[in-house]
Amino acid sequence: MKLHHLVLSASAALLSLGLNAAPQVGTAAPDFTVVDTKGNSHSLKDFAGKNVVLEWTNHDCPFVVKHYSGNMQALQSDLTGQDVVWLTVISSAPGKQGYVSPAKADELTASRNSAPTAVVFDETGAVGKAYDAKTTPHMYVIDKAGVLQYMGGIDSIPSAKVDDISKATPLFANAAKAVLAGEKPDPAVTRPYGCSIKY
Amino acid sequence: MRSVIFLLFYCLMLSSGHAATTGWQTAKHLKAELVSEYQQVTPGQTVRLALHFVPDEHWHTYWQNPGDSGLATSLSWRLPEGVTAGNIQWPTPHAIAIPPLVNYGFEGNTVLLSDLHIAADYASDTIDIQLQADWLVCEEICIPAEAQFRLMLPVGSNAILADEQSALFRQAQQQRPQPLNISGQFDTSGGAFSAVIDWQQTDITAFFVAASELVDHAAKQQISQQGTQLLLQQPLNTYFSGVEDQIELVLISADTAYSVQLTKGGQLAGNEKAAVEILVTQGQQSSTALWLILLMAAAGGLILNLMPCVFPILSLKALSIAANSTQQAQQKRDALFYSAGVALSFVALALLLITLRAAGAAIGWGFQLQSPYMVALLVYLLFALGLSLSGVVQFGLGLMNTGGALTAVKGGKGSFFTGVLAVVVASPCTAPFMGSALGYAVTQSAPVALLVFAALGLGMALPFLLLAFVPGFARLLPKPGAWMDTLKQVLAYPLYLSAVWLLWVYGRQVGVDAQALLLIGLVCVAAACWLWGRKQLAQVGRVGAGFALLLVLLALVLPVLAPKQAVPQTQSNDTQHWQPWSAATLKQLREQGKPVLVNMTADWCITCLVNERMALNTDSSKAALALYDVTYLKGDWTLRDSAITEYLRLYQRDGVPLYVLYWPGQPPQVLPQILTPDTLPQTLARLSSQP
Repeated sequence: MKLHHLVLSASAALLSLGLNAAPQVGTAAPDFTVVDTKGNSHSLKDFAGKNVVLEWTNHDCPFVVKHYSGNMQALQSDLTGQDVVWLTVISSAPGKQGYVSPAKADELTASRNSAPTAVVFDETGAVGKAYDAKTTPHMYVIDKAGVLQYMGGIDSIPSAKVDDISKATPLFANAAKAVLAGEKPDPAVTRPYGCSIKY
Repeated sequence: MRSVIFLLFYCLMLSSGHAATTGWQTAKHLKAELVSEYQQVTPGQTVRLALHFVPDEHWHTYWQNPGDSGLATSLSWRLPEGVTAGNIQWPTPHAIAIPPLVNYGFEGNTVLLSDLHIAADYASDTIDIQLQADWLVCEEICIPAEAQFRLMLPVGSNAILADEQSALFRQAQQQRPQPLNISGQFDTSGGAFSAVIDWQQTDITAFFVAASELVDHAAKQQISQQGTQLLLQQPLNTYFSGVEDQIELVLISADTAYSVQLTKGGQLAGNEKAAVEILVTQGQQSSTALWLILLMAAAGGLILNLMPCVFPILSLKALSIAANSTQQAQQKRDALFYSAGVALSFVALALLLITLRAAGAAIGWGFQLQSPYMVALLVYLLFALGLSLSGVVQFGLGLMNTGGALTAVKGGKGSFFTGVLAVVVASPCTAPFMGSALGYAVTQSAPVALLVFAALGLGMALPFLLLAFVPGFARLLPKPGAWMDTLKQVLAYPLYLSAVWLLWVYGRQVGVDAQALLLIGLVCVAAACWLWGRKQLAQVGRVGAGFALLLVLLALVLPVLAPKQAVPQTQSNDTQHWQPWSAATLKQLREQGKPVLVNMTADWCITCLVNERMALNTDSSKAALALYDVTYLKGDWTLRDSAITEYLRLYQRDGVPLYVLYWPGQPPQVLPQILTPDTLPQTLARLSSQP
C-alpha cells in the first residue's frame, strides 16, 4: 500500500466551493471602503503610491492591551513618520467586546497616546472577512502598488505578557521595514495570535 | 494591564501534613489545583500529576492547537535534580465555534496530565514540585492568567496511592484519546491538508490536527474510507507557513477518540516517496440524492436490453411471454422469477467486487473483461447462443424458446436462471458503456452500492414486468407467427458480431497466436453444438453426445494453453503522438512544470475508442497539444493494472475512460467522459489564458 498521498486535486474542489477568497501575499490586497472616527471615508485605492498598514484591534482584548503598553504606539509613530498610512480597524459588531463609538475611539487614541493615520470601523465585518482577519491584534502590510506583502502576527511569542515583547522576534516590524526598503518580507505569512475578532 | 492579568500566588500546604493536592486556586472564571496520583513516591517511579481546571460554565481553555484564536495552556516546572516532567498529555479537544472562527479547547472539568520521572538514585526524602501554569480562559471574551503551584511529596521505600484522587485520574484517562500504533502520512500541497491512514474505521466523524495554523479550522472536513485506508482532508489555513515532519492527529468517532502520529509525506525512503494524488470529494458527491442515482441506474438497466449482446435473446423472450397471454398467472410468476434472477445477479456481482476490494485487490468495474480467460468464455457463450438462434441447437433454459415452446412448463427455476444468464450475457456490455457510473456506485458505502446494482437489475427486468403485469403492453406487440422464427434466425447475427468484438479484445490482450487457439475453440464449440442438436433430434446416440462434451472441454482448455505473449502496446512510430503512462513519468513531467494530458483507456471500452477517434486523434487536437507543448500520456487498462486502478481511484473513478489535464500551477482538470472535438483545444486555450 502506498502511504504517501498528495492532494493537488483538492484545490479544484476548493475553487468550486469559493473558498479561494482568502487573501494571498504577493497578490493585490482586497479593496475596501471604510469610515473613520471623523466620518471620513477611506478606500485602499486612495492610498496608491503609499505603503499601508492594517491593524485589527479590540481595546479590551488582553493581547491588544499587551502591545498598547508602548510597543504598538512606537510602531505607529515610527511608520507614520515614514509616510506609511496606518489604519487601525475595529471589526467588532455592535454590542460585542471592542465595539466603540467614534468619540470613544478618539478618546482611546488620545489616552493611549497612539498615532495611527485613522481608526476605522468595519461593523459588518466585511473587511475583516475579506482579509481573513482572525485575531486582535492582527497585522497586514500592503505596498505602494497595492500588493499584500505581509499578513499575520505582530511578533513571534503568542502570550499576553508584556515581558515577552522584548524577547520576541518583531515579525511585523521586520516586515514593514523590508517593505519600506522595497524588499519582500521574510517570513511574509506568520501566525496571528490573540483574541478572536468579535464579528 | 494588571487588571486583566491575574497573578495568583502559591500556597504552601506543608502545615497540613503531606497531601496529594495543592488545593484550589481561584482565578477569574476558573479554579485550578495541582494533584499527584500518589501521596508518597519512591525513587525510580513515574508519577502522574494532574493540573485540574474547573472553568465557569461556557468558559473554556485551549488545546495544544487552540484553533483560530486563543492560546494553549503552558506549564513550566521547577523540579529538584533527578526529577523531570514530561509534556502535557492533552485530553480530547472539542471544537468551539465562534463564527466565522473555530477554536479547539475544553469546557467543564479539564485535567491536564503530565508524567513526573523520579531518578532511581534520588536521595532526598521529599520532592519539591513547583509549577507555573499560564492559561487563557475565554467565553467570548478572554482572560489570561497565570498561577504558581507548589506540592511537596514525601519519598519513601514504597509508593502510596492517593486513594481520594483516583477518581480524578480515572476520569483524566477516559478523556484522553486512545493512542493507535498505526502509520499515517499527511501532505499540504494543493491548498489542503490531506492525510492517509492505514486503518479501517468507518465511523470517524471529525479530526483535530495538533499543529497550529495548519488547517482552516472552520472549513468543512472531508473524511472517507477507501479500501483499507482512511482519507482525511481539510483546506489549509490562510496563515499556513510550514509544518513539522511529525504531527499528532486526534480522530473522533461516535464514542471514542484516538490519537495517531502522522509523518509528512516524502520523508519515507524508497518507493514510499512515490507521490500519488488522492481526491476526497465524497462530501460533494453525496449531494446527489440517492433516489436520483437509483433512477439513473434503473434507466441504465433498461437501456442494457438494447445492447447487441442482450437484445436478440431478450427480445425473443419478451415475444414469447407476450404470446402466452392465456396463462397470465404463469406469465407473472415467470416475470417475477426472471426479475429476481437479474437483480440478484447484479447484487452478487457488486458483492464480489466489494469483497475483492475490501481484501485489497486493486480492481475496478470492467474487471470481468480484464481477464483474457473470462473474455474467452464470453466469446464461447455468445457464439453458442448465436448458434442456438440459428437453429443448430436448442438450449433447455427456456431462453430461446419461442411461441408454443413456452407451454412446456419451465417453472420458476428456469426463469430465475434465464435472468442470471441475461446478466452474464450483458456483462461485457456493462463495462464499456456503464463502467464509470457503476464505478461510482462501488466507491460509495456498501449498502448504497448494492442498492444501485439492484436498481440496475430491476431496470433491466422492467420490460418483462410490464409485459406480464400491464396487459396493454403485451397487446402492443405483433401477433406471434412464423415470422418469429425468421426473426430469431436474423437476431443470431448481432450475437455473432458481439462475439467478434470480444474476439478482437482477446486478440489485443494476448496476441494473435492465442486468438487463433480461441478460434479453434470456437470450431469445437460449433461442432459440439451441432452434435448436441443432432442428439436432440435423436439422430446421434450417446457416443455423439459424449464427443460433444469432449469438444466443449477441449474448447475450455484451449485458452488456458494459449501462449502468453507480451502485447506490443508501446510500439512507437513517428505518427504516434502519445507516450505510455506511468505514475513516475507523470510525476517527473509535472515536477518539470510541463502540461500533461492523461488518457486512461481500454480496448473493450467503446466510449474510450469513440472519444479517441472523434476528439483526441483529430488534427485540431493534435495541433492544440503541439501548440501548448502538452505531453500526452496514455494508460491502457485492457488488462488488469493495479497502478492504473489506483490512479483512477484518486479521481473517484472505478472505470475508464478518464481524462485528466494537468496545467502547471492549476489544479488538475478532469475532462468529461464524452469528449467533443472542441473539448481539448478549448480547455487548453482557457487554461493557458489564466494568469
